[in-house]
Amino acid sequence: MPMILVGMVAAPGLLLLLMCAHWLTVGGMGENQIRRSMAVVATIGSLLALVLGWGLFEDGEIRSGVMHWIAVGSYHFELELVVDRVSWPLVMLTNVLVALVAAFSIRYMHKERGFFCFFAWITLFWFGALLAFTASSIDLLLGGWELVGVSSVLLIGFFDERLDPVRNANRVFATYRLADLGLLIGIFALHSFAGTGSLDAMGELSGAGATVVALLLLMAASGKSAQGPFLGWLPRAMEGPTPSSALFYGAISVHLGAYLLLRAQPAIEASLLAKVAVISVGLGTALVATLVHRASADAKSSLAYASMAQIGIIFAEIGLGLPTLALLHMTGHAAMRTLQFLRAPSMLYDHHHLRAAAGGSLTPTGTHYEWLLPQRVRAWLYRVAIERGFYDAIVDRWILYPVLKMARWCEGFEPGNTHGAKFEIAPQGVERTQLEEVQG
Amino acid sequence: MNSLATVPLFIVALIGLLTWRLSPKSDTRLVVLGAAMAYLANTPVLFWLGWTLTTLPLLKGQAKAPKLVLLASTGLLGAGFLMAAWGPSPWAFGLIAAAALLRKGIFPFHFWIPMAFETADLGVVNLMLNSHLGAFALLRFGVPLAPEVARQAIGFLAVLALFTAVYTALLATVAKRPRRILALLCTSQASFILAGIENRNLEGITGALIHWVVVSLATSSLVLVYQALENRTKEVTEPAGYLGFGYHAPRLAVFFAINMLALVGLPGTLGFAAEDLLFHGSLESHPLLGIGLPLATALNAITGYRLMTKLFLGRRSQATPVIPDALPQERWALVAPALILVAGGLFPNVLVALRAPAAESILSVLGSR
Repeated sequence: MPMILVGMVAAPGLLLLLMCAHWLTVGGMGENQIRRSMAVVATIGSLLALVLGWGLFEDGEIRSGVMHWIAVGSYHFELELVVDRVSWPLVMLTNVLVALVAAFSIRYMHKERGFFCFFAWITLFWFGALLAFTASSIDLLLGGWELVGVSSVLLIGFFDERLDPVRNANRVFATYRLADLGLLIGIFALHSFAGTGSLDAMGELSGAGATVVALLLLMAASGKSAQGPFLGWLPRAMEGPTPSSALFYGAISVHLGAYLLLRAQPAIEASLLAKVAVISVGLGTALVATLVHRASADAKSSLAYASMAQIGIIFAEIGLGLPTLALLHMTGHAAMRTLQFLRAPSMLYDHHHLRAAAGGSLTPTGTHYEWLLPQRVRAWLYRVAIERGFYDAIVDRWILYPVLKMARWCEGFEPGNTHGAKFEIAPQGVERTQLEEVQG
Repeated sequence: MNSLATVPLFIVALIGLLTWRLSPKSDTRLVVLGAAMAYLANTPVLFWLGWTLTTLPLLKGQAKAPKLVLLASTGLLGAGFLMAAWGPSPWAFGLIAAAALLRKGIFPFHFWIPMAFETADLGVVNLMLNSHLGAFALLRFGVPLAPEVARQAIGFLAVLALFTAVYTALLATVAKRPRRILALLCTSQASFILAGIENRNLEGITGALIHWVVVSLATSSLVLVYQALENRTKEVTEPAGYLGFGYHAPRLAVFFAINMLALVGLPGTLGFAAEDLLFHGSLESHPLLGIGLPLATALNAITGYRLMTKLFLGRRSQATPVIPDALPQERWALVAPALILVAGGLFPNVLVALRAPAAESILSVLGSR
C-alpha cells in the first residue's frame, strides 16, 4: 500500500518531467501523444486511488513511510505521504476530475496554439493538488499548495493575446502571495508552539498557540478559497480556459483552503476566537457572494460567486465543528460545480433546449424572500451586488495605493533613479484599465 | 582550499563560462580570474588582489557612485588586512565588515547596484556581484580575527541585511526598467545570505550557503535571458507595455520563468530547500527573519512575475516584435543552471552534504546560541 500511495502521487509529477524533457529536446508533444499520456496516467491514478480507498476499510490510514528529504544536523525535512478518511475523497475526486476535464479539454482546446502548455500546467496542478492532499506535514502541504497556486496563475494568463488575462493573472498572483504569508508564518508558529510541522500536532495546541496558528491558517485558507478579505480574485481568474476554471475554481483549488481548515480543525476547536473568526469569514463571504452571484451578468462570474458562497458555508460548518458535513459538502459541491462550469459555454443552448422541451415557455421560478426587505434596502443591495461589494475599489484605495505610495516615497531618496516611473495605479475612483487606455 | 570556497568557485566558473559563451568580453575573463584567485587564496594579499581584479571592469563605467563604492570597499578591505597583519583586532574585523557591506550593497549602500546594472555591462556586473566576495571575505577572513566581536556584530549586520531585503523588495514593486528590477531583486534575495548566517545553527547557516548558490544561478540566468532579449531588440530596455516576446521566444520565456520562480522559492527547485532551511533555522534564534523572509520573498515574487509578464506575455499581434527564440548555444547555456536548480530541488541532500562542512566551520567560529 505505501508504494501505491507514492506511485499515485508521483505519476503526474513523472508525466510532467517527461513532457518538459520532450519539449526541451524535440519540442512540445502532439495532441495524440498528450491524449494518450493523460489517459494512461489518469487511469492509473484513479485505479490506484480506488485501491487506496479499499485499503482504508482495513486500516484507518495509509502512510508511505518517512524519507528524509533534507537532513542537516538535528533538522530533518520529513517527506511522508498519508491518506486517511479526510484526504481520500479529495484525492479520488482530483484524479477523476482531472481525467474528465482532460478528456473534455482534448476537444475544447483542439488546435489551440497553447495546447501543450495547457496540459503541462494541468499536470503541474494535478501533482501539486495530490501532494497537498496527501501531505502528512504542513511543510510538505506548502509545497503542493504553491504548485497549485503557480499553475492556477499560469492558466489565468493563458489567453495572453488580450491584456486583461495578463493583468488579472498578475493581480491573482499578488493576492495568492500575500495570503500565503499566513501559511508561511502559520508554519513558523506551529513549529514554535508544537515543536513539529506534523498536521497531527494541531490537536496538541491550546490557548494562544491554537489561536495564533488557526488565525494564520485561516488567512491562508481565505486566500486560496477566495473568502473574507481575499474574495475579489476569483472572478478575475475566470479569464482562463473554461475547463481549467472548472477544475480549479469549481472543484479542487478553491476547496484546498477548506481542506487546510479541516486539517486545522482541532486548533480551531481549541480557540473561541478562531471559531468565531472562521464562522464570520465564511458567513460574511457567503452573504456577499450570493448577492453578487444573483446580479452577475456573465455565466462564469456568476458561477464563481456561487462557488464562493458555498465555500463560505463550508467554512462556517468547519467553524461550527461539523467536519464530516463539511467534507460531504465539499465533495458534492466540487462535482456539481465542475459540471456547471463545463456546461457554461453551452448555457444558451441548454436554456433553449429546456424551453423547447417545456413546450416553448418556462414557468417563472417564483418570487424570492427579498420582498421582505424595504425597497430602498433592496436598491442599495443591488448596487452593492453589481459593484461586486466595492471590493476592488476598497483594496486599491486602502491597500494597494498606500503601499505603492510608500514605495514611491522611498524611491524618491534613491540616487540615480532619474527616469522615475509613473504610477501604475490611479489614486481613487479610476479603473486602472481606463487610465492605461487614456495614457495609450 | 577552504571548504567554504569549493561550491562558490564552481558556481562562479560556471556562470563565468556561460556569460563568456553568450557574450565574449575580456572583462568577463578578468572578473572570473579575480574571483577564482580570491576563492583559492590562502593569504589576505592574494585575496585582496583577486577582489581588486573583479572590481576593475566597473571602474571604467560611467556612473560615479559604483566606482566610489567599489574603491572605498577595496580600500577598506586593504586597510583591514594591513591592520590584521599586526595582529587580530576588532578594528580589523570592523574594516573588513564595512568593505563587505559596501560590496554586497547592504542598506544604506544598496544604491550602487541598480546604478551599476543600468550603466555598465550587465554580464560583468552580474558576475562581479554574484561572486559574493563580500560575504566570503567576512566569513573567511573577518570573523576569525575577532570571533567575540563578530558574534555581536553579525547580529547587527543581519538586521541591516534583513532590512535591505525588505526595503529593496519594496523599491522593486514600483521600478519599471527591467535592469533596475533585476538589480533590486538580486540585492534583496542576496541579502538573505548574511541574514541567515546570524541564525547560528547548522540548518540556518547551511540554508544561507545554499541560498548563495540559488541566488547566483537564478539571477545569472535571468540576466542572461534578459541580455539575449536586449541583443535582439532595444524595445526591452524601457517597456511601454506588455511586450509579448513569449510568442516568438517561448524557450526564453520558460527559462526566465523557471529561474524567477526558483529565486523566490518555488517547490521543486533548490530555492524551496534553501528557504525551508533558512526559515527553520530562524525558528528559535532569529524570529525576525521568520517574518522578514516571507514578506520580502512575497514582494519579490510579485515583482518578478510582473516583470515576466511585461516581457513575455500580451500583445500577440502584428505589433509583436519578431525575435528569434533561444539559439542552440543559448539554449544549452541556460539548461545548465536550470538543471542544477531543478535537480537540486528534487534531491537537495546532495548540495546540503557539500555545504554542511562549510556551515560547521562557520558555526565552530561563531558558536551556536
